[in-house]
Amino acid sequence: MNHFKKIRIIIISMIFVLILSACSTGSGKSNACGQSGNKFVFATWAAGEELKEFNEIVDRVNKNADGEYTIETLSIPSDYYIKISTMIASKKTPDFFWMTQELISKYSKLGAIADLTDLMENSEHLKPEGFYEGVIASATYEDKHYGIPWIANPLMVYYNKDLFDEAGVQYPSPTDNWTWEDFISVAKKLTTEKKDINGNKYRQYGTVVDGWPNIETFFWAGGGDIIAENGEDILLDSEESLKGLDILNEILSSNITPSYSEVSSLGSNNVWFEKQRAAMFMGGIQDNFEEKLAKLPAEEKFEIGYAPMPVGLDGEAHAFDWTASTVMAKGCSDNETAFKALEDLTLEFFKWKIASPLEGQVDQIAEIDPLKEPALETIQHALQIARSANYVPEWNEINNRLWVELYTGMLNDPDKYDYRAKAKEIAKYSRDLIEKRK
Amino acid sequence: MPKQRVGFYFILPWLIGLIVFTIFPMLAALYISLTDWSIIGTPNFIGFENFKAVFQDDMFYTSLFITVRYALFAIPLTIGTAFVVAILLNNKIKGSGIFTTIYYMPAIVSGVAVAIVFKWVLDPNYGVINSILAIFKIDGPNWLYDPNWVLPSYLVMAVWGASGGLLTYLVGLKDIPRELYESSDIDGANFMRKVWHITMPMMTPIIFYNMIMGLIAAFRKFTDAYILGGAGNEGTFYMVYLYDQAFSFYNMGYATALAWILFIIILSLTIIINVTKKYWVHTG
Repeated sequence: MNHFKKIRIIIISMIFVLILSACSTGSGKSNACGQSGNKFVFATWAAGEELKEFNEIVDRVNKNADGEYTIETLSIPSDYYIKISTMIASKKTPDFFWMTQELISKYSKLGAIADLTDLMENSEHLKPEGFYEGVIASATYEDKHYGIPWIANPLMVYYNKDLFDEAGVQYPSPTDNWTWEDFISVAKKLTTEKKDINGNKYRQYGTVVDGWPNIETFFWAGGGDIIAENGEDILLDSEESLKGLDILNEILSSNITPSYSEVSSLGSNNVWFEKQRAAMFMGGIQDNFEEKLAKLPAEEKFEIGYAPMPVGLDGEAHAFDWTASTVMAKGCSDNETAFKALEDLTLEFFKWKIASPLEGQVDQIAEIDPLKEPALETIQHALQIARSANYVPEWNEINNRLWVELYTGMLNDPDKYDYRAKAKEIAKYSRDLIEKRK
Repeated sequence: MPKQRVGFYFILPWLIGLIVFTIFPMLAALYISLTDWSIIGTPNFIGFENFKAVFQDDMFYTSLFITVRYALFAIPLTIGTAFVVAILLNNKIKGSGIFTTIYYMPAIVSGVAVAIVFKWVLDPNYGVINSILAIFKIDGPNWLYDPNWVLPSYLVMAVWGASGGLLTYLVGLKDIPRELYESSDIDGANFMRKVWHITMPMMTPIIFYNMIMGLIAAFRKFTDAYILGGAGNEGTFYMVYLYDQAFSFYNMGYATALAWILFIIILSLTIIINVTKKYWVHTG
């Protein structure tokens, strides 16, 4: 066989092998857990200062483990989920990785992450009942726990006490219930025309709603929801849910919030509160207004007040909570050392991040960040009423429609947009999606 | 060593690249489009179910409509703009080199940077365009925040970036024989007549090339659309929808079917334009 022929054969074989590999069913061996000497890889989206702190914690945990295991950090600061999913596809799943609550049902349904229920039940420190109910629910799918929450960030209402005093409006209670009607009424009183030091006119708004808070908040405000707890029934077109959208529409159409297109002119929504252009802001602990204010010059500072999220038409207050959890690769399910490493590291996270998702650790917040001391009472209340949506594997598709079509439609044209009809249309789409899963 | 074998060795590195990075991914994509693969799960062969589902999907038609509508306006606009700018720059005027560089700049600026700049340019309250309109007492539109103004917003961006094809037009213009203009001068032709009867026909091969490239670019519009979006669904171009299906909704099989359909659409339109070539492209 001559040389030329050989090369042609090699090339043709290469194409053939590549085609075969493309058509493989992916049933190859999945990656083992803690591959050599209980060395575990932990993927995080942390970067910069957060990554530095993260690595310090990992080093401390590794030192305390005294050779029983070693944790290695894998920082993925951008395109996090694309890289994680690609790693899973190529059988190189990190042993542990952070995951936002919206994706846990999806990843568990696809068999990529381990069921931690038994491991958590048998754990001394991470028993599911030790977490705030609404927080642990965010890492639970079909009654199984797939993630260990390491942070809780429920919504509460921050308000500017100085602007309240100026308008002669009474402060809301830090823990007692106020209704959405009360909230809107207060926001109207705080919306007024003002002049800056140069004599230029500007409008001070009662609050800011620009897609934040998320739409779940308003479905709950009406006593409704998007998806029922069973993960199958779509509720977003129920009368209660539609009444919640009426509340959102009232906020948007009564000029108590800057228009959607106006909000970005200051950079982002929370800047409106920092610059005293909005008197109230529905935000989480992570908005960290206390620290931002501490850095401002004296003449720009103001006193912050804290109130819980208003009570919905069902008589209950619901504070949307964003929780991130650590999940474990499916391949680590039976590895007790892996869970031990995860447990040790998570307990350190609780001393690092606020708020801890474990009950009874609110006082720790002031130790980590003394500036938050005045907010503790409200944070405690917010954690008790914290909740997230009932996430299902189809959540991203449904939520995308809710945002792109429903919420932005309302934001762009609050006076004319037929949001009730759109909600019904998206409900039908969502039911079709869920039906396919069944 | 025979000549053809030497040639083969020379193209071998390219050939390997073509197989590994083009042919293999295409074949893999063809297979994936016939599965329910989600990236993180195991793919199951489902035949043509993804393709059937695509044709029953409202968002497929919506995103395709948005993309086709954009292409219909953007391609003639960008070709026209680049052509006119090239004719102006082709005249021997002072500083034309600097203007050429300036006009060509959009072609080398990152799409992400362009999107971020245009987010500010099109800002309804403090953007450059509305601020200029305000000087003339005109209330500017809400641009990307108003569903009716999303397409014009993207067309403004397209016109700004139209000079990407500028160099090809300039090269084409310089290739037109001077004698043609000289003889038309003797015949008393004015500037417009020369453009219409000499420049345009002689430039049709370049226009044809830019039309094909513009068509492909319009159907593959992604970066700025992904960053800027647009009110309602008006910013959901075909590629944005495809990306969402693959990486936000984890429907890689479905997304790959969308990619194949896009490939067929672009291929068909390119063939159609090629067929019409003999009627309007001057190749003599």
